[in-house]
Amino acid sequence: MASFARSSLLRQTLAPRAPFLQKNVGVSQVVAFHASAKKQILPPLPQSVQGTMNDPAPIPETHPSEGSYHWSFERLVCVGLVPLSFAPFAAGSLNPVMDAILCSLLVAHSHIGFQAAIVDYFPPSRVPKFRATCNWLLRAFTLTTAVGLYEFETNDVGVTEALRRIWTA
Amino acid sequence: MASLRTTSRLFAASRPMFRPVFARTYATVEPTPSEQPKMKTFKVYRWNPDQPSEKPQMQSYDLDLNKTGPMMLDALIRIKNELDPTLTFRRSCREGICGSCAMNIDGVNTLACLCRIPTDTKTESRIYPLPHTYVVKDLVPDMTHFYKQYKSIKPYLQRDTPTEDGLEFRQSPEDRKKLDGLYECILCACCSTSCPSYWWNSEEYLGPAVLLQSFRWLADSRDEKTAERKAALDNSMSVYRCHTILNCTRTCPKGLNPGRAIAEIKKMLAV
Repeated sequence: MASFARSSLLRQTLAPRAPFLQKNVGVSQVVAFHASAKKQILPPLPQSVQGTMNDPAPIPETHPSEGSYHWSFERLVCVGLVPLSFAPFAAGSLNPVMDAILCSLLVAHSHIGFQAAIVDYFPPSRVPKFRATCNWLLRAFTLTTAVGLYEFETNDVGVTEALRRIWTA
Repeated sequence: MASLRTTSRLFAASRPMFRPVFARTYATVEPTPSEQPKMKTFKVYRWNPDQPSEKPQMQSYDLDLNKTGPMMLDALIRIKNELDPTLTFRRSCREGICGSCAMNIDGVNTLACLCRIPTDTKTESRIYPLPHTYVVKDLVPDMTHFYKQYKSIKPYLQRDTPTEDGLEFRQSPEDRKKLDGLYECILCACCSTSCPSYWWNSEEYLGPAVLLQSFRWLADSRDEKTAERKAALDNSMSVYRCHTILNCTRTCPKGLNPGRAIAEIKKMLAV
């Protein structure tokens, strides 16, 4: 059932108007109440209960880079970004070290944010390949952003100075 | 309430003694003859598992609010008694302590027994089962996974060492106060089923109700397995799918704050 739904999802996202989609539309409409819309993203699967009714739900696997460390790091980056966004303008001086810290925190912050969206919307049990693709895409984008910012900082005026020029333009 | 009112009215001096006393059933209000009937439309989600190929539909029922009790549950019971005995819903205590009649009324998850019928008769009231649940029939959601998740957090006192005097495990009033706002939860699942994160990831994310209970045992000074409890929560799915949307706090029919409890769990785990 899972493979069936997954394939229908990919078909719907990749080629929503393809003719071979037609036979799946009717089925998914019967499956779920909210199926009145023809294009569903990840329609709910039929209910399945793991183990017996009296077994506790399984506890997800843990990993050192997930959970509390991840959350603490995320919060620290968030909190750190607030003063770093104002400090260069308040100090009125252009400091490459401050710029470097600001840029690296920005990259980390956006990476964590998009990663959370991927974890939220693409469960590995449901769309494992798409999830992996999204993760690698995100890593590629993050790397590109980091390299681009580095180039901007070293060969051009840098983020802070660019913002100042746009602001006073 | 209704019977109290009539008893006091019987003794009121301004009333004529020959006025008939109407026999009436639970939670109906005495009809006032002079008033016009206040007809209100209730649209109720209907789905019958015996006809699985038929799509779910909204069925309309018209009730006279003058003859109906004040709460949504009174209206539902009256519909079931007088209009349509096939309407199916859970109810038990009718006073907001059992959590059976949790449903989505006019777009808000709440307990039908604690939800007043809006007196505006021009607009209809729409009643759905709890959102994003598997429906057993009509307004009855399947709570299996919710209870399995509740079981997974071990919602009981875990303690190895006995007390010195061999009597009960005592608690200071300050420690007891930490459980206020946590122990009142009746597990009606209104909060969990209002949480978008729980809609998308209910297989692994525990949801506000179960996390509130989890914190209730983390905050208990008598419990000795705090480290184990924290370790079981320390993964990317159990707690950290909470993005502080706070639908849980907004919808809780008991006025509790699951969002705050989750924030406290995050703080406990972070230290």
